[in-house]
Amino acid sequence: MKSSILAMSVIAATGLAAPAFADKLDDIISSGTLRCAVVLDFPPMGSRDESNTPIGFDVDYCNDLAAALGVEAEIVETTFPERIPALMSGRVDVAVASTSDTLERAKTVGFSIPYYAFENAVVANEGVEMADWEGMRGKTVGATAGTYEAIWLEEKVAEWGEGSFRPYQNQADVFLALSQGQLDATVSTVEVAEANVASGNFPGIKIVDKAPMVPDYVALITLREEYGLINYMNLFINQQVRTGRYDELYEKWVGEGEPADLTVQGVYR
Amino acid sequence: MFFDTALSTNDLIFLARGAGMTLIVTAISVFFGTVMGIVFGVFRYQVGPWWAAPLTFVLDIFRSIPLLIQLVLANAFVTTVLGWRVSGFTVACGVLSLYTAAYCAEIVRGGIEAVPPTLRRAARSLGMSWGQDMTSVVMPLAARIALPSWIGLALGVMKDSALVYVVQVVELLKSAQILITRLQEPLFLLIVCGSFYFLISFPIARFGGYLERKWSRD
Repeated sequence: MKSSILAMSVIAATGLAAPAFADKLDDIISSGTLRCAVVLDFPPMGSRDESNTPIGFDVDYCNDLAAALGVEAEIVETTFPERIPALMSGRVDVAVASTSDTLERAKTVGFSIPYYAFENAVVANEGVEMADWEGMRGKTVGATAGTYEAIWLEEKVAEWGEGSFRPYQNQADVFLALSQGQLDATVSTVEVAEANVASGNFPGIKIVDKAPMVPDYVALITLREEYGLINYMNLFINQQVRTGRYDELYEKWVGEGEPADLTVQGVYR
Repeated sequence: MFFDTALSTNDLIFLARGAGMTLIVTAISVFFGTVMGIVFGVFRYQVGPWWAAPLTFVLDIFRSIPLLIQLVLANAFVTTVLGWRVSGFTVACGVLSLYTAAYCAEIVRGGIEAVPPTLRRAARSLGMSWGQDMTSVVMPLAARIALPSWIGLALGVMKDSALVYVVQVVELLKSAQILITRLQEPLFLLIVCGSFYFLISFPIARFGGYLERKWSRD
């Protein structure tokens, strides 16, 4: 009787002390490849060059992550709606695909800390005196009707009680109006603003300041239960910022200037 | 050029590489699919509908589930359930081979059934073994009957192979889609892509016609 209890407890103990199973982090390292889902019709984060090779901020970020893990990077092209299915069906290990960290998505996938944030910039006509975003007070401003930026601008104009707001059909019209001086200033994402200034299609415009709107934080994603990998990615993102690689990639793909602050004042994580 | 396009020689080479991938995937799948199809078809004919029922059921699964779903599920099964790290190319070839085999088994069975039983009985009464009967009597006759369907199957598999993009195999249609995203010239690029498909399919179809004519003469 006693020996049988002993035997059973031994069996139970061995069961409890079962060897730790290899998790995704181990799998990636042992397989020698990191498969990243990247959206390649979303410049400057992801696109293709003349020889159809994937390029962009996200592509470089995936390559950096693979290099840190000591493995080869494999870029798997996905569309925005395909990112999470690709992850769930095991076609990719992580998605480096400018995924906004919504609580709804966090029910399905695991998010790292933000690795990038889409901020909004105030773009003005060069002939207009404007030192910072508050310089828009009393000016004629405009944006694409119905967008987040337009709603914010319209509210600001109402709050200031001076100046006027003009809605436009699309972003190209906004920048055309700005370039021709019909508008004094507009607000758009930094990436669009930088690209439009650099394209030379809209002469006479300049980026003044960042708009004090809540940025769109984007994070790396992997399977929800892969804590080992999520931990690794968090530290990796921290190191990218710490070593200056984040600034470097921002300058390479977005433009001169300060990349978004990835911390939120007043709260952990 | 009589019209403007941003398509460069580089991009044409990219498309040609995609076409090469389509050809390789098709060749591998049609080859293994046909070999398996012959085995399955002969087995189904030989053992009768009752004993062949499990095999028939499995083949019916491959014939009735859309290829796209088969590819996604097979890839997920192999990579997550079995935990194998195989390339998308291997998964694509495996699934397409089984898919081809399922159709080919039916073609082979139909071909064998079309050989008159009296002729086969005559062959056996001449003292031919089952193997001799199969290779010298059934095969030449069944092959003639099955050839047009088989050519149709091969061409169908080639076009169906466009779906292997879901397992990260960049074949002809995917190459064209990549170029469409970059160059924003969908109609022109689809015409180019369609011409590539035609260039590949047409010789196969003609070759089938040639074989048919040649075989009907002897």
